[in-house]
Amino acid sequence: MTDLENSKPSPKYSRIAAEWSAFWAMARKELIIMMRYPVNFIASFGQTFLIVAIFTLGGSMFFRISSAAGSQTGTSSGNPSGVVVYGFILFMFMGDTLWTIGYNVRNEQVQGTLEQLYLSPASKFASLVARVTNTLLWTGLLSVTAAALMTLMIGKLPVYNPWLGLYLLVMALSGTFGFGFIFAALTLRIKETAQTVANLLQFGLLVLCANFFPFSALPPFILFFSRLIPLAYAVDAFRSTMMGYPAGFPELAPFPVEFIITTLFGLLMPPLGYYLYRRAENYARKHGSLATY
Amino acid sequence: MALRSNFSVLFASFRMRLMTITRYPGQLVMDIVIPIVFAYMPILLGRASGSNPAATFAANTGTSNYIGYMLIGASVFTLVNFAFWHVAYWLRWEQEAGTLEALYLVPTHRIWVVAGTALYSCLRGVFSALAAYLLGSLILDVNPFQGEVLLAFVFVLVGLIPLYSLTLLFGAVILKVKEANALVNLMQWGVSFFMGIFFPIAIFPPLLKAIALLFPPTWMTNGVRSALLGVGFFFNRWYLDLAVLWLFMLITPFLGYWVFSRTETSVRRHEGVGQF
Repeated sequence: MTDLENSKPSPKYSRIAAEWSAFWAMARKELIIMMRYPVNFIASFGQTFLIVAIFTLGGSMFFRISSAAGSQTGTSSGNPSGVVVYGFILFMFMGDTLWTIGYNVRNEQVQGTLEQLYLSPASKFASLVARVTNTLLWTGLLSVTAAALMTLMIGKLPVYNPWLGLYLLVMALSGTFGFGFIFAALTLRIKETAQTVANLLQFGLLVLCANFFPFSALPPFILFFSRLIPLAYAVDAFRSTMMGYPAGFPELAPFPVEFIITTLFGLLMPPLGYYLYRRAENYARKHGSLATY
Repeated sequence: MALRSNFSVLFASFRMRLMTITRYPGQLVMDIVIPIVFAYMPILLGRASGSNPAATFAANTGTSNYIGYMLIGASVFTLVNFAFWHVAYWLRWEQEAGTLEALYLVPTHRIWVVAGTALYSCLRGVFSALAAYLLGSLILDVNPFQGEVLLAFVFVLVGLIPLYSLTLLFGAVILKVKEANALVNLMQWGVSFFMGIFFPIAIFPPLLKAIALLFPPTWMTNGVRSALLGVGFFFNRWYLDLAVLWLFMLITPFLGYWVFSRTETSVRRHEGVGQF
């Protein structure tokens, strides 16, 4: 008996091990599902290239005379490669962290497995985070290749301050993770309508956070709303840092201010989002609507 | 079955789809908002990219009205998008709704049910595309009624039939490969790329340009842009471009139906259509 008691891991260790085990099991499950659909895998790659090509070719109509490809006209923002490529990378990652958790919760509802998951003692947090892990890795690969393609099409990519850029990217993603939890909470509450809300928010954020163009292109009325969104500061700080702060950048606020906003956004949003998710989850369990969709 | 009964099935399918979408008014609003936001991206990028974006744009495309150009591209994209998601995805939709087996048991041929879906899709697509173009023009302050409006509408109407026939061809690929979501997503962007949603296909290398010209939406988009903005028809005369679309209209429905039927028969003989 004494031996058995001695061989037991400490409660703290066993908790971490259980969290890791739940995370790993769920990540592996998601990976297995991804591998079962190879066409999906390849198609998502092709789709990203096509979207990139469509928007960059569309944008290039304004700064390049096609008969003399390669010669670019315009000012410092005339070659938009930095703005577009870094904005695109952030957009891709944001898409994963913002919507994947919510979509997966809904998928579990549709498949009829959400209630079972909540009956098991496995960590809910690890299970939710694991869903985004594979997608993030896949998106990383997609982003690098898509950025290379965009650079080929619209010009040389400026790369300055990569470590500071990485820090800002991580903070922006951490913040959007928090948003992801809030969206998952919303999915539990509004069910089918969440899809429409996600679409609307996705396109709204695309304009308000100016991922594909400088903020200076936005009309003052829309710019006012951009200034209210912390994510917009993260986008601005990230790409301005990676471009080496050219004239006119950052556009929304001085860099130290944007740095603080991005850091606070990255640190505060995940606990806030998870708190709201747990509330929505408890509400659904109390009202028996966890499996309803 | 008598033609009257078949038409009754067609309209029942059309009505059912229409009734379903009226339950989701938010989706209808999104149908109009999305093309405007889509067009807005390259427009904003262009506005930020130089001192005289209209002049550079005119040198590349043949018109300085870049707002109209982008809005037309995004609106035609809506039509293509709807055609692919509603018709090419139709079989998967029935699978998900749990009505596929029932459809195979009824004495009516499935083509009439698809035709009802296609009619609904056309109506929703044309309404959304038109609303997006008009609203986008209003918001971005351009005149939507310049040029030959009626001719532009003729190009859209004639182009719709080959477009929907193309989706039947693609539906056959989905039947075979199964992964409908991924393929429809890929194809809608593929067609949008080839039809020159935000740029003229003249910038493509010869081989890519030849492939682009095999897609009816390419002729439809250029026809509408030429009629409204005067960017220039492929054959310099509107009736010649329209004749090409008519040719597509005569060939593609039969080709699409033939390929789809053959694939469906082959799939039913082997693994069955219910598997996904």
